[in-house]
Amino acid sequence: MNNEELWQAVLAQIQFNISQASFATWFKNTKILNKKEGLVIVSVPNNFSKEWLENKYNKIILKTLHNLDEGIKEAQYTVNHTEFKKQPTVSLPETDQLEFQELKINRETNLNPRYTFENFVVGPFNELPHAAAWAVSKNPGAVYNPLFIYGGVGLGKTHLIQAIGDKVKKNFPRKKIKYIPSEKFISGVVNSIRDHSIESFKTQYRKYDVLIIDDIQFLAGKEKTQEEFFHIFNTLYEENKQIILSADRPPKAISALEDRLRSRFEGGMIADVDFPDFETRMAILKVKSQEKRVNISDEILEYIATNIKKNIRELEGALNRLAAYQKINNKDADLLIIKNLLKTAILSPVKVINPRKIIQIVAEFYDLKEKDLIAASRKKEIVRPRQIAMYLLRNELSNSFPAIGRKFGGKDHTTAIHACTKIAKEKEENEILVEEIKLIKEQLYL
Amino acid sequence: MNLIILKENLKRGLDIVERITGKNLTLPILNNVLISVKKNLLKLSTTDLEVGINYWTLTKTEKEGKITVPAKLILSLVNSLPNKKITLEEKDQVLNINCDNYNVKIKGQSPDDFPIIPKTETTDFIEINSIPFYKGISQVVEFSSLNQTKPEISGIYFNLQKNALKIVATDSFRLAEKTLYFKDGMDIKKETSFIIPQRTARELINITSEREDKLKMYLSSSQVLFELSFPEGNQPQIQLVSRLIEGKYPNYQEIIPQKYETQVVVSRDELISQIKTTSLFSGKTNEIKINVNVNKNKMELFAQTPEIGENKSEILVKAEGKNTETSFNFKFLLDGLTNIKSDEVIFGINGIEGPAILKPVGDTSYLYVVMPIKGN
Repeated sequence: MNNEELWQAVLAQIQFNISQASFATWFKNTKILNKKEGLVIVSVPNNFSKEWLENKYNKIILKTLHNLDEGIKEAQYTVNHTEFKKQPTVSLPETDQLEFQELKINRETNLNPRYTFENFVVGPFNELPHAAAWAVSKNPGAVYNPLFIYGGVGLGKTHLIQAIGDKVKKNFPRKKIKYIPSEKFISGVVNSIRDHSIESFKTQYRKYDVLIIDDIQFLAGKEKTQEEFFHIFNTLYEENKQIILSADRPPKAISALEDRLRSRFEGGMIADVDFPDFETRMAILKVKSQEKRVNISDEILEYIATNIKKNIRELEGALNRLAAYQKINNKDADLLIIKNLLKTAILSPVKVINPRKIIQIVAEFYDLKEKDLIAASRKKEIVRPRQIAMYLLRNELSNSFPAIGRKFGGKDHTTAIHACTKIAKEKEENEILVEEIKLIKEQLYL
Repeated sequence: MNLIILKENLKRGLDIVERITGKNLTLPILNNVLISVKKNLLKLSTTDLEVGINYWTLTKTEKEGKITVPAKLILSLVNSLPNKKITLEEKDQVLNINCDNYNVKIKGQSPDDFPIIPKTETTDFIEINSIPFYKGISQVVEFSSLNQTKPEISGIYFNLQKNALKIVATDSFRLAEKTLYFKDGMDIKKETSFIIPQRTARELINITSEREDKLKMYLSSSQVLFELSFPEGNQPQIQLVSRLIEGKYPNYQEIIPQKYETQVVVSRDELISQIKTTSLFSGKTNEIKINVNVNKNKMELFAQTPEIGENKSEILVKAEGKNTETSFNFKFLLDGLTNIKSDEVIFGINGIEGPAILKPVGDTSYLYVVMPIKGN
């Protein structure tokens, strides 16, 4: 007879000896925790039950136990209420009152319950990362280790990698999972160096079965953090613990990243999340509007999906605005109102970008000063960013070549033509360049 | 059992222990108070199996013994008796009460069926001054979550350090933190934290509010015991035992904003009265809009409901940072303001979706964080 059956047999007999109310009150949520050498440890939900069973029912419990199993000589009671914790399942209707987001996050894993596979919309643009993520969640540590997911802002990287954590937790409740944005990781390293506790910091990370680090590109240039991370990475990797990373660009394109780390990142599976196509944008809008319980016609969703192309977060923002409008005015919005409501969201990119902005962002991206780009330097590390800036002016703003030349300190229009053709040509062969330009563009349109 | 006691003493004890009875339907004996007499002390005990209270008072004892009777009934009865000596006598599970011209018989229940209130598992205790303690708890107790799906935040969080005790509650829309600073430092080995149910906190306020005394706190892994002694010696007078809420309290410090986009210093009374006026027009959503114009040092409160009307009012303030237009639930603002005791308050706002803060000017011991209502 195992412990469970034994306790059931005890309960079955005891219920005849005491009143229904007492039985329900004192024996609810009790069980045998352990049985060893004639000593039975009974787990009870609180101190009141403990006192009561010890003082009032110990004799009858022990006698019943003894009748069932002659070896049992003693029973002890211990309070153990973690066992009976109920899982929160209730979802509250959405209201406009904002909440502290920090409280929704699980303290052990850092995962936000909002992000699951169930509410992740799959389309051609993210099929590969989704499939890889799904495979990892089924079998963490065994396939695709590390899993490296990259892609632009607001395309669902965080959602996807957190969904892996969520799924692993459901599939393997015993596995220790940790999600951490890399900024937190960096400040963790910095603090532990300051407090001379770097060893315990590392030990803590080594015990995780699944380690998820978001926005790993922020590690660039932080040599000490990279070193510590390298050691943690190796330990986990050697023990077949799953590592999941995300970044806004592929490992190759992360500058100031140590080669040994880069090669490790590239050792597993790399998958990129692209911009969603129209159909997927529609699907996302439909899922989100259902989640928010708002009723919006297809015509309007189509309008939003056609006009917001590059960022899922913005899609959601537009939907929120619409939902708020409908709630306040208590009527469905028509297309004219939508156009008005979403004016800022849709038009803003066009308004924001101008030649100065491009030069500024390119300079920032390559860690240069704006005036370096404009000055007449022929240094290689300046010439190339300058050419990229010229290329962008031509392609994004359709500036004329002479105008581009003028913007860069009165250069000849042939210089501008040369720059644009050179970059266009190189883009065809050089993957890093493609990524860099993609990233710069993202920052432009953010 | 047979004893003589002053009405006032019996009433005071019953007042304290009666409050937690009468909420359990499955076990009727929990509606009762256990009256027991040993030597010259009368002990009253009640419990709802989450909290237990013991209360001792002096009596002239003729014969030791014990009985349980319905707590609400005996309290109502004692309240209506004249302010004189009362004789309590138990015979065959019936309690005879004699006082002046009254002769009462209450049918009791066997004391053997009454739950045993758990004793402390530890002899280590921490001593705290009761007055600042109960005042501190009452400044946060209302803000714990009523929603049981997140048990951790349904309670009040205590964080005890060498030099300070932090008392925190949040319902995920707002958060209050009170810090009690110890002048002499606490004799504790390391920082300890625990969460007590909101009920327990309320009872704690109830038992400690009247008296300036040292409150002893015995903490063990699954329960806590608070104890006040008789002024004359070590004999405990009131004991409150409670279970602790299992789980880790959220890392609440991350919620407290350290910087504000807009900072306003404003008279507390004026702000309260304007919020109250404006709130008449806030409708079902309780939403009022707060506009801060930094250049003009002006704060404007606005609320409107199409069917009722609208109100706009202005206060002169000291403002810094950016202009802002943020909506709040007026009740949440009032809840925070009424727990602040200073003449002027700091109101820090972080845009339309960031956490805002209310805190007294010149007092770092209290703060109240509140989330806005999503603006349009």
